[in-house]
Amino acid sequence: MIPVSYQASFRYLLRHPWQLALSLLGIAIGVAVIVAVDLANASARKAFLMSMDQVTGEATHQLVGGTRGVPEDVYARLRVDHGVRSLAPIVDGSVEIHDTVVEVLGVDLFAEQEIRAFTSEASVPTDTGEQSQQNLFRAFLTEPGSVTMSAATAAELGLRLGDAFTVVAGGIEHRGTLLGTYGGEHGGLDNIIVTDIATAQAWLGQAGWLSRIDARIVGDDPEVVERLESLLPDGVRLLTAAGRTQATAAMSQAFMTNLTAMSLLALLVGIFLIFNSVSFSVLQRRGLIAVLRALGVTRGRLFLMLLTEAAVLGLMAGIVGIVLGIFLGEQLLLLVSRSINDLYFRVSVTEVSVDTLSIAKGVIAGVGAALVAAAAPAVEATTYEPRLAMARSSLERRAGRSLPYIALAGAATIVFSVLVLLISGRDLVAGLAAVFLLILGFASCVPLAVRWASKALSPLAQSVGGTTMRMAVSGIGASLSRTAVAIVALAIAISATIGVSVMVDSFRGSVQEWLEQTLQADVYAGVQRGAMRPDLIEDLANIDGVSAVSTSRRTWIEDESGRTQLLAIRMAPGAYAGTELLDGAPEDVWTGWESDDVVLVSEPYAYQHRVTAGDVITLPTARGDRRFRVASRYQSYDINASAVMISRANYDRYFEDDGVDTLGLYLSTGTDVDGVIESIKTISQGRQRLRVDSNAKIRNLSLEIFDQTFVITDVLYWLATGVAFIGILAAMLALQLERAREFGMLRALGMTPRQVGSMVTVQTSVIGLLSGLAAVPLGVVMAWVLIKVINRRAFGWQIDMAIEPGILVSAVAFAVGVSLLAGIYPAWRAGRNRPAIVMREE
Amino acid sequence: MRWVWLIVLVFVPGLVAADESRAASQLSDLLNEEDDTGFAQALAVRPFSFPEDHGPHEAFRNEWWYLTGNLDDEDGRRFGFEITIFRFSLTPSPPEADSAWRTNQVYIAHLAVTDADGNRFFVAERYSRGALGLAGAQAEPFRVWIDDWEISSAGDGRSWHIHASDDEIALDLSLVPLREPVLNGDAGLSRKSSTIDSASYYYSITRLQTEGVITIDGKDSVVTGLSWLDREWSTSALAADQVGWDWFALQLSDGTDLMLYNIRKQDGSADETSSGTITFPGNRSERLYQSDFEIIVRDTWDSPKGGTYPSRWTVRLPERNLELDILPVIADQELFTMVRYWEGAVDIAGRREGRPVHGRGYVELTGYAE
Repeated sequence: MIPVSYQASFRYLLRHPWQLALSLLGIAIGVAVIVAVDLANASARKAFLMSMDQVTGEATHQLVGGTRGVPEDVYARLRVDHGVRSLAPIVDGSVEIHDTVVEVLGVDLFAEQEIRAFTSEASVPTDTGEQSQQNLFRAFLTEPGSVTMSAATAAELGLRLGDAFTVVAGGIEHRGTLLGTYGGEHGGLDNIIVTDIATAQAWLGQAGWLSRIDARIVGDDPEVVERLESLLPDGVRLLTAAGRTQATAAMSQAFMTNLTAMSLLALLVGIFLIFNSVSFSVLQRRGLIAVLRALGVTRGRLFLMLLTEAAVLGLMAGIVGIVLGIFLGEQLLLLVSRSINDLYFRVSVTEVSVDTLSIAKGVIAGVGAALVAAAAPAVEATTYEPRLAMARSSLERRAGRSLPYIALAGAATIVFSVLVLLISGRDLVAGLAAVFLLILGFASCVPLAVRWASKALSPLAQSVGGTTMRMAVSGIGASLSRTAVAIVALAIAISATIGVSVMVDSFRGSVQEWLEQTLQADVYAGVQRGAMRPDLIEDLANIDGVSAVSTSRRTWIEDESGRTQLLAIRMAPGAYAGTELLDGAPEDVWTGWESDDVVLVSEPYAYQHRVTAGDVITLPTARGDRRFRVASRYQSYDINASAVMISRANYDRYFEDDGVDTLGLYLSTGTDVDGVIESIKTISQGRQRLRVDSNAKIRNLSLEIFDQTFVITDVLYWLATGVAFIGILAAMLALQLERAREFGMLRALGMTPRQVGSMVTVQTSVIGLLSGLAAVPLGVVMAWVLIKVINRRAFGWQIDMAIEPGILVSAVAFAVGVSLLAGIYPAWRAGRNRPAIVMREE
Repeated sequence: MRWVWLIVLVFVPGLVAADESRAASQLSDLLNEEDDTGFAQALAVRPFSFPEDHGPHEAFRNEWWYLTGNLDDEDGRRFGFEITIFRFSLTPSPPEADSAWRTNQVYIAHLAVTDADGNRFFVAERYSRGALGLAGAQAEPFRVWIDDWEISSAGDGRSWHIHASDDEIALDLSLVPLREPVLNGDAGLSRKSSTIDSASYYYSITRLQTEGVITIDGKDSVVTGLSWLDREWSTSALAADQVGWDWFALQLSDGTDLMLYNIRKQDGSADETSSGTITFPGNRSERLYQSDFEIIVRDTWDSPKGGTYPSRWTVRLPERNLELDILPVIADQELFTMVRYWEGAVDIAGRREGRPVHGRGYVELTGYAE
């Protein structure tokens, strides 16, 4: 049998369905955001690992080389001269089929058995419709362009068995044929096509080179590892496959941690919301509580009752949140995987894989948040003396007395968070924890500030709008036990908006400035993957009006510590200014740039690797490990931020690669940019597909990509704000309902419904205004922490903080607007109440 | 004469053991649908020339270098070995050369060692494309190899060398031919069925003096003995009604070498093109027709993996007054590779013209287990 007290509890909740629904919705959205982010992260990660798992197969180690890879004769020598077995050569890279980017995995089927047996398990129909592996081997070896892929990928590309299609690799068109498909049992093969190593070499312009050699060393036998290492020429090194996968996955870790932090923010707002509604429910039921206490219900029992109530609410909201979260996660996954693709590595993931851990996290978050939020009001309820509980005034007095202590605790929390920031070094998670502490600390100070503000403002209100206005404003201060929580929730949401907006805005500004400085050439022509044809480069340089040419080559170097982007630049005369150096005098840096063993490192590289100008770093080159002096750090907001820049002369000296992927064309004054672009298109027509863009267009495109990357941030903050809006609405509604008698009294004293309504409206606007104003300092501090601490720790970027006043003004306006909107219904209701009825109800 | 290898490609790496029922259907696919157009065919007698013909004949679909031998170490321990390298052309002509990896040549190799006294049999297998120096064959200097397994001419070109190893076994042998190449069938044109285009070019060097080291489980044994080389290339395949064959390479104590093969048909009978060659000291050889010999199975052996093989024979050449009793040195010399077959060292005892002879040899049995 359900005890009377519980029946009373639930009956109360059911009698206030709006309030119940809103607090459920608030926490449900909080949970949904957490679940969604968690699912999206986990799905992206799982898809990546699954794909790596397939691609790595049984390989325990991988032999990697310089920027072009491993010379193919290294493989032949290991097998033939040294009898090393369990090796499989790989040539991989990206190509486009039907405008979709896919990864090519070029294999030697004869070497695959021990590493990736699945590659030869494609079903290949013969002319008679039977399956034949023999056809697979024959076609792979003797019919250039034969590929296999998962049935799902084939469907996505719109290909059927036997179809011929165009493959664009490095801007050059090739022919491919779909020979066979892998069934559903081979997961992790999305957007991967398997082909013979010869085809892969031809497509990717990798003649003579392997991307890597996979090796299977059973039990990691150190003797075998040592022997293999002793056989490797300079410039080729043996890395563990697990280590490489981890290093790649780790690249996206900071990104995912940041997303998780944002989702927690949504839940934090959700917690305030529950706190809000539980507090209200306690306040409103003080009569009931007093009766229960008087009837002999113990404090412990009462406490338990309120917590149970919260837990049930949390559970219900959690379940709704999870369903909502799965749906939201699917939308979010698109954004997450796009960002990961843009920023880190190719991951192909189309559907959310719902794992129980994410679900469990959602339930725990929901129930946990509800319990945490309910704990304080529940404790408070148990302290009510049966007699005093009836009196409102004593409540407000208590609330008022405790405000300074709460604010003091808040101040202490702020100090603590600053300490955490100072001592946590470069730890991202600690940085984010400090941000949360900061928010909590600030939030705790807000109610006291609001009391002062409403006191200070009430004379002003009197002179502007008379008694009604004064009552509205001073009412805020006098009823803080009910309004404070709403104010805090809104302030947090608004400050988060300010913080993130200022951060993104500052970042964007820095990127824009950097782009203007970096993009010195008038026209850029190049290929996204592979290398430009040398004859084409020459022809482009000879176009009328081209006065100078710069070249660049982006490649990757890899050693035990992971992958680093290497940028080989041949600068046009006078183009040195395009690189913003952070150390030393430019003329000192550029002297010896081409002749000495020097490099420049990007600011993020310097941060991550803890190097600075004058240090010596070791880079794996085609001629073995070489030491280079860091001449200076340079500013970079490149997508692959951590990079090393080297002169083309040095690159040619140490890396066996004559490829160029982008050409910068400097035009003589008065030359028509569009005319040159047209000439480039004409000249390259039929030879190589080039991306040709003017300086201005690249700048715009880059900013577009930048904005795209932050779409996900925006989405999350809008969700947090949505939660806050619901909070305000719920708080206002509850407040006005609870004050029904007061309004009735005012009506009885002669106030018109209009006056009561406008009093409520003014009150909600002022609450919005105060929340917005309280949010400004917190938002600015948050922006600073995000820019200088979180971004730096996560990505290594150095960003100048720039506060656009518009952001602050619109944030405050937004707070007022949200409150107004939330106040419409309560105001209408408050005015509509018939005084006699509401007063009689008491 | 080892046609079994025509089907090897069907079973290219790893596909087969898993699904053996597929083997039969794929074999028939291959036999019935293979288009020989464009490949060279063994249709007429041709002149053989050495060392050129030791090298590859890539215009033909398939080819092999087959070495077997019986060896003893200083303590009298008995060993047998087989090393075979198969070459296949996937297409009549090489594909366009867009990469050093591009080729129509595929190589597969088998290595087997019999430790008669230890009653142990070891097998290893390699496969590779014939490109980038990973595997290949050349006439001068003679060399055929796959990974680090290699058969090559050594020194003055008169002697050959075998080098091959796997986890448990290794061969390091020098071989000196004691006889000139013997052309089997009709001056080297060896018919495999009554259809005119089913034939191969086939020669043997029936005696090579062999010495070197056999390593088993890290233990070296210095060995000497006799080996046998079989060389064959062709394009055509087995006829549809042929299921397998028994092949004998026998070296007798009186200097006579005998090669016999018996192609078995589905109905159990022997194909009339089954034949052989008898070689006498001094390089004289004579062709044997099916009617010249008789092979009687005396015993069988059940493979633990299924299938029953003959495992003792009486071979009679009535007109030459020769009768031989042939017994495997150990029963289990089955190769469980991409294709299952039995290939093992045998002992021979018998009488010729009333005088006792003995000898050693190798026997190959195919089509007994799927």
